[in-house]
Amino acid sequence: MENIQKGHLHPISHMITEINSIFSEIGFVFAEGPEAETEHYNFDRLNVPADHSSRDMQDTFWFRKEDVAVPMVLRTHTSPVQARYMESHTPPIRIIVPGKVFRNEATDVTHEAQFYQLEGMYIDKGVHLGHLKGIVEYFFSKFFKGDVEVRFRPSYFPFVEPGVEVDMRLNSGNSKLVGRWVEVFGAGMIHPTVLRDSGIDPTVYSGFAFGMGLDRLGFMKYEFDDVRTLYTGDLRFVHQF
Amino acid sequence: MKVVYDWLKEYVGDALPPVEKIDELLTFHAFEIDGIEEIQGQTVIDVKVLPDRSSDSLSHRGVAHEIAALMGVPLAHDPFREPVSLMPSTPKIQVTIHDQNACRRFGAALITGVRIKESPAWLRARLEALGQRSINNVVDATNYVMLALGQPLHAYDAEKFSHADGVWHFGVRMATTGESVTTLTKDAYELTERVQLIVDEASHAIAGIAGIKGGAYAEVDAQTTHIILEAANFDAAVTRRASQSLRLQTDASKRFENNISPELVPFALRDVVKLIIDIAGGVCEGFFDTYPTPHTHAPVYVAHTHITGLLGMLVDAETIEKIFTRLSCVYEKAPDGWNVTAPFERTDIQIPEDLIAEVGRVHGYARVASVMPEVVPLAEINARHYYSDRIRSLLVDAGFSEVITSSFRAKDAIKLANAFASDKGYLRSSLRKNIEEVLDRNMPFADLVGVSHVALFEIGTIFNPQKGEVRGIDETVSLAIGVRMKQQGYTPKDDVRLTEIAVLLEAALGEPLHAHIERGVLECSLTSLIARLPKPHVYASFVPGPQTTYKPFSQYPFMTRDIALWVPEEVSASGVEESIRAHAGDLLARITLFDTFTKEGRTSYAFRLVFQSYDRTLTDDETGGIMERVTDALLTQGYEVR
Repeated sequence: MENIQKGHLHPISHMITEINSIFSEIGFVFAEGPEAETEHYNFDRLNVPADHSSRDMQDTFWFRKEDVAVPMVLRTHTSPVQARYMESHTPPIRIIVPGKVFRNEATDVTHEAQFYQLEGMYIDKGVHLGHLKGIVEYFFSKFFKGDVEVRFRPSYFPFVEPGVEVDMRLNSGNSKLVGRWVEVFGAGMIHPTVLRDSGIDPTVYSGFAFGMGLDRLGFMKYEFDDVRTLYTGDLRFVHQF
Repeated sequence: MKVVYDWLKEYVGDALPPVEKIDELLTFHAFEIDGIEEIQGQTVIDVKVLPDRSSDSLSHRGVAHEIAALMGVPLAHDPFREPVSLMPSTPKIQVTIHDQNACRRFGAALITGVRIKESPAWLRARLEALGQRSINNVVDATNYVMLALGQPLHAYDAEKFSHADGVWHFGVRMATTGESVTTLTKDAYELTERVQLIVDEASHAIAGIAGIKGGAYAEVDAQTTHIILEAANFDAAVTRRASQSLRLQTDASKRFENNISPELVPFALRDVVKLIIDIAGGVCEGFFDTYPTPHTHAPVYVAHTHITGLLGMLVDAETIEKIFTRLSCVYEKAPDGWNVTAPFERTDIQIPEDLIAEVGRVHGYARVASVMPEVVPLAEINARHYYSDRIRSLLVDAGFSEVITSSFRAKDAIKLANAFASDKGYLRSSLRKNIEEVLDRNMPFADLVGVSHVALFEIGTIFNPQKGEVRGIDETVSLAIGVRMKQQGYTPKDDVRLTEIAVLLEAALGEPLHAHIERGVLECSLTSLIARLPKPHVYASFVPGPQTTYKPFSQYPFMTRDIALWVPEEVSASGVEESIRAHAGDLLARITLFDTFTKEGRTSYAFRLVFQSYDRTLTDDETGGIMERVTDALLTQGYEVR
């Protein structure tokens, strides 16, 4: 056999390791939670009650009643880790949660039943939207290695108020993204009900949370053309990274 | 919600800005715009109304109010701020509500002597521009007023509805399992106790599914002369449960699910009666309204420091008060802040943070200045991530590539209740089967990706039934490594290589893997391995990944050709490779040097050439031609092709 040729890391792993290195430098802890999650953490604790229209925003895989003691789902987002982490820690809290999530929907080039998300959360006294903007600029300028501009547009997610959509524009570097606004993720100030239900007094503390698709980030960084290719185990894909 | 520009103008008046300005205002201060198009001479704007604003903005009046508020002008005509009365009332309509929490208000009007015909051109044009089908003047009027004000309405043929004693008696009750209904569109639905109904109390016939869709019973048709109009308010959760259980979502159910205000009822009845009399004639005999528990909108206190503190922007009191006024909120100064009463249609405003969001978006999030939080030391190291990365890098160095495969299987231990796709019915209980399949799938691509054998791994979650008394899901992280040396399939050599790798990992980590190796796949529990390993204290320093731009790979088959040649000892492999590339052309997908030896002052190189096209299947003749060209070129250079 010839000299051993090095193997290749999956781009999702490249991204998670890079994201963790960017955030750990400023004190954000890599947190995690289960993929088989209770309905309670996936929805109720995030201010998404049963029989509320906000549940329409996500198509959910449910476990069978006979297999579980309490209603359980495959987590539809990494956000349940917010509530889990708040319960077991006291502020100040700074976390990121990269992880696999699931949606029970038809697949196409930008939709897959499993994909990766990156959640971020920062809770302390006096945290405001300006801090969110600061962190987002810090992260993207490092991740895309260029000068980044960020803007907010009003949005709605049940677990934040105010909620914003975050757009970014890369102003330097050699990415195809340079010079145009791209919608990157949803974010906002954590809803007081979410804080209170997790044992944090919203009259003392405030915090922001954000959530984005890692696959989407990969489309921006590596110019993927079909999200489904990421999860077929095809070496013609992996060997490019 | 699609809105017609000219229709907005009826509310905003001449102050309505051009459509480009509306786009900009709404995008940065309220809602995304999904599109703007010209349909039959009308400008239609597709506004993506946010879920929390579906209570007030799934209507032309709502979007118009939003635009006016953002411009800082009052609406020229605001139907909700003009006095309304449902007079005269009529004793000919009676309504029995069985659950007043499920049906919060029921208003109705009786009109006699209408003439059913086609709607006037202006009304048809507006409905059609919004993609709605015109039916007849009465039905169109109910749809029109819903699109104008956001209140769903329904018209019944009064002659077809029981009224033997001269009284039309409506009931609102929950269905019982076993009942069924046929809707206006002739679809039949089996009902359950999750569904609320509108019934004819005298005949017990089901007249409609409350808040979702009217029934075929008492349907308005060409012969209809007397009508009863219904404008009611149904509870959001009740409507949602019914809509979900019937898998029937309509323009009406969407609005009720999002908690529209019961205060809309009289405004909608007033407007629809007026419009019907205008376009279908007839006389309004009177109105009916029952509203057992009037909706109260308690003022919300918000502190000035709370607003500036959460938004991270300085906004003075005068600006904040102006914003409240622009949003039709009424405020009173309170210590360090305000008590703010939102207009009745804004049922979404309930807590101080809702008001803070309003101030933020109207004032403009562009004014938020970015602030970098102080840097703090890292409080915890994630052991799972630390060791996963450690193992990844050991494996990559040993020639293994990482894959991420599907968490789903067509058949396995844990079945999901509602998987949409049949290949995703179960969750994987181990990584083994996925890895075996991936080995099979990749083996034919070995030459194309330039490897002599396939070596790969995955780190991922697996799911098994929880052991013991309590039912539940046992989720663990597993590591699987796969090796395939030979095209024809598994050989014991694969397991030998896996045993070597296990030894390598165990030596590096200082802990046995407790791995199971079978038929080319090694699997072990990473969760239990990590539990046995020492707690990490610092992450490995970050090595930047490749600055790769992904290139889609060809879906067409590839062809492999080998070439071996003698060259003088001083000629390098890369030099030969370059001349092969130059003559092989664009169809050469990969070239790999797979054998080298030197003998009597000459070196032998053997290359494997892989040919592939992005747009067709290559023929033997084509690759044969290329190989001839390459061979000729090498001969011309004085090399001996073996």
